[in-house]
Amino acid sequence: MLRIIATIRKEWLLLRRDKAGLALLFAMPLVLITVMALIQDAPFRDYQEVQFDILTVDNDHGRLARYVREGLQSGGQFNVIDSIDGEPLSEERAKEMVAEGKYKISITIPKGATAEIVSNANKIVNDISKRMGLPSQLPVKALSNDSLAVQLYFDPAAKKAFKSAIHQALDNFLTQVETDLLLERIQMQLRSRDSLNQDTFPAIRLKAVALRETSLGEGKQIDVISNSVQHNVPAWSIFAMFFIVIPIAGNMIREREDGSLVRMKLIPGNFLSVLTGKLLFFVGICTVQFYLMILVGLYLLPLLGLPKLQVGVDHVAGFLVAASIGVTATAYGILIGTIFKTPNQALNFGAVSIVILSAIGGIWIPLEIMPESMQLIGRLSPLSWGLDAINDIYLRNGHIRYVLPDLAKLLGCGGAMLLVAAVVEQRRIG
Amino acid sequence: MNSIAVKDLQKTYAGALVPSLSGLSCAFAEGKIAGLLGPNGAGKTTTISILCGLVEPTGGSAEILGMPQTPANREAIKRIIGVVPQRIALYPQLTAFENLRYFGNLYGFSGRRLKDQIMQHLETFGLEKAAHKETGKFSGGMKRRANIIASILHEPKLLVLDEPTAGVDVQSRSMILQFLRDYNAKGNSVIYTSHLLEEAEQICDEVAIIDEGKLVTQGTPSELEDVFLHYTGHAVRD
Repeated sequence: MLRIIATIRKEWLLLRRDKAGLALLFAMPLVLITVMALIQDAPFRDYQEVQFDILTVDNDHGRLARYVREGLQSGGQFNVIDSIDGEPLSEERAKEMVAEGKYKISITIPKGATAEIVSNANKIVNDISKRMGLPSQLPVKALSNDSLAVQLYFDPAAKKAFKSAIHQALDNFLTQVETDLLLERIQMQLRSRDSLNQDTFPAIRLKAVALRETSLGEGKQIDVISNSVQHNVPAWSIFAMFFIVIPIAGNMIREREDGSLVRMKLIPGNFLSVLTGKLLFFVGICTVQFYLMILVGLYLLPLLGLPKLQVGVDHVAGFLVAASIGVTATAYGILIGTIFKTPNQALNFGAVSIVILSAIGGIWIPLEIMPESMQLIGRLSPLSWGLDAINDIYLRNGHIRYVLPDLAKLLGCGGAMLLVAAVVEQRRIG
Repeated sequence: MNSIAVKDLQKTYAGALVPSLSGLSCAFAEGKIAGLLGPNGAGKTTTISILCGLVEPTGGSAEILGMPQTPANREAIKRIIGVVPQRIALYPQLTAFENLRYFGNLYGFSGRRLKDQIMQHLETFGLEKAAHKETGKFSGGMKRRANIIASILHEPKLLVLDEPTAGVDVQSRSMILQFLRDYNAKGNSVIYTSHLLEEAEQICDEVAIIDEGKLVTQGTPSELEDVFLHYTGHAVRD
């Protein structure tokens, strides 16, 4: 135990006097997390609470334009603009402003669109009445060669998903107007047939089957919305924890170069206790790093106008996940420090390998949106196991049993790397 | 009993074209200061590495104070041998006291006893005023002296030094040599590698000259002056 405690104290003294190392381990990750959360806030908000301005040109002045305007506004995601400087928008002006990139979309409701829908509904009702032997009473416009269309203009830089969502919404509004008008006409025709019982027609239910959403999370915070903070704080915390590879590998190579490693090996007693002290110290540093970054998500980022990080309900499980990530990161550092002969080799390989492992492991972008083959590869990255486990605890309010497979993988991988390092070191004696 | 005895010692490192040791045999009596001399690349450091169990020999055998160097004896040998590596095996960011306390702790010493022992050694080597200075800021001679202290905290019966005076000033050299005499006077054995016969002549009772991994000759320093000149190209008092 004395050897373990002495090694922890020695590592602490070495780290305390290494100002650059301290900055790399603590200050830089905090800056990284803050910057990443801030710059990725907008893309995350694109699909959530950011309001988009939509230009609407109402040449119809009928029910369709009203439905479109009210429908877009009701979701809270769109801000409908139909006049600029008190002047109603013209189609040409709206088109110009979208082309200039000032607005992402413009919608023009053509003149006579509602009348066209009404006429179409009347025609259908008249057809039905005729087939039922009733007189056709509703007015129908003469056939026109020009088909009317709601005109959309998109900013050329608009994302495909955004365009598709707008198309779908407008399609819904058109269908809704057409259905409403058709049902109204049917009711009118039926009422005119039986004028004594005008109030006895049952209301027609347009939506017999509704949609209902239930979150599968447990506990109080069932619906934690994934936002910039919720993704970036855990993801970049894990990335920063793995960067401990650099000081560990550098420290081990320096010990080998300056002969302190030889001195330690010449001292009677199990060298494993020295390695255990080193491992415990750096796992402790990783865990402190992790919680400092969590504090940034809890207290600093909200001050910068970002959402507060939600940390789930099982804090013990969260701690165990952080410590397990620390074990894997430290073991990786020990392995690199053992295999490579110079600090430069270790630094370059260590840094590049962590960037690759983080990219494929879903730190930069979630694994789910990667191609299937990359997802398979990404699932082999220890960083993805760590992120999965943290998301289980923080986003899905999971408990320890949710993350046991990921913890087993992290600790198993850490153990395997230490074993390889031991074999490599043993071979050096030969 | 011999302080060390090696017989037909052979070592070829993986990937090396020529062996570092090709059947080295020599022995030094216990309680003496012995010198292992030879030019660079003669096999001195490899011999020391095998003696203290850091390197496995390809062939032959080595004994330390009568104990064969085998995996079974390795821990016992570590308790009786102190090795001063050629490189300064100290942490430059730690003070002399912190370095020595750490290595003392690894030997299992702690508390007041260790502190007193460290301060006593620092005084012996004239480093008491620099006890709380980072060793990275020490002069070459001070580093060498602190390097020796870290190897004698457990008071080994056999002290092996690999070029302990390389690159040090005159004052530090004489302090180190005086310490070795004093340490030997307490009944301990000292094995000392160097490529300077003059230095060996000052303190060694016996000297072995090795070259290309083999023993060239063994005797007192004055007996071996001519042989040394032949192998190193330097006279004793160049």
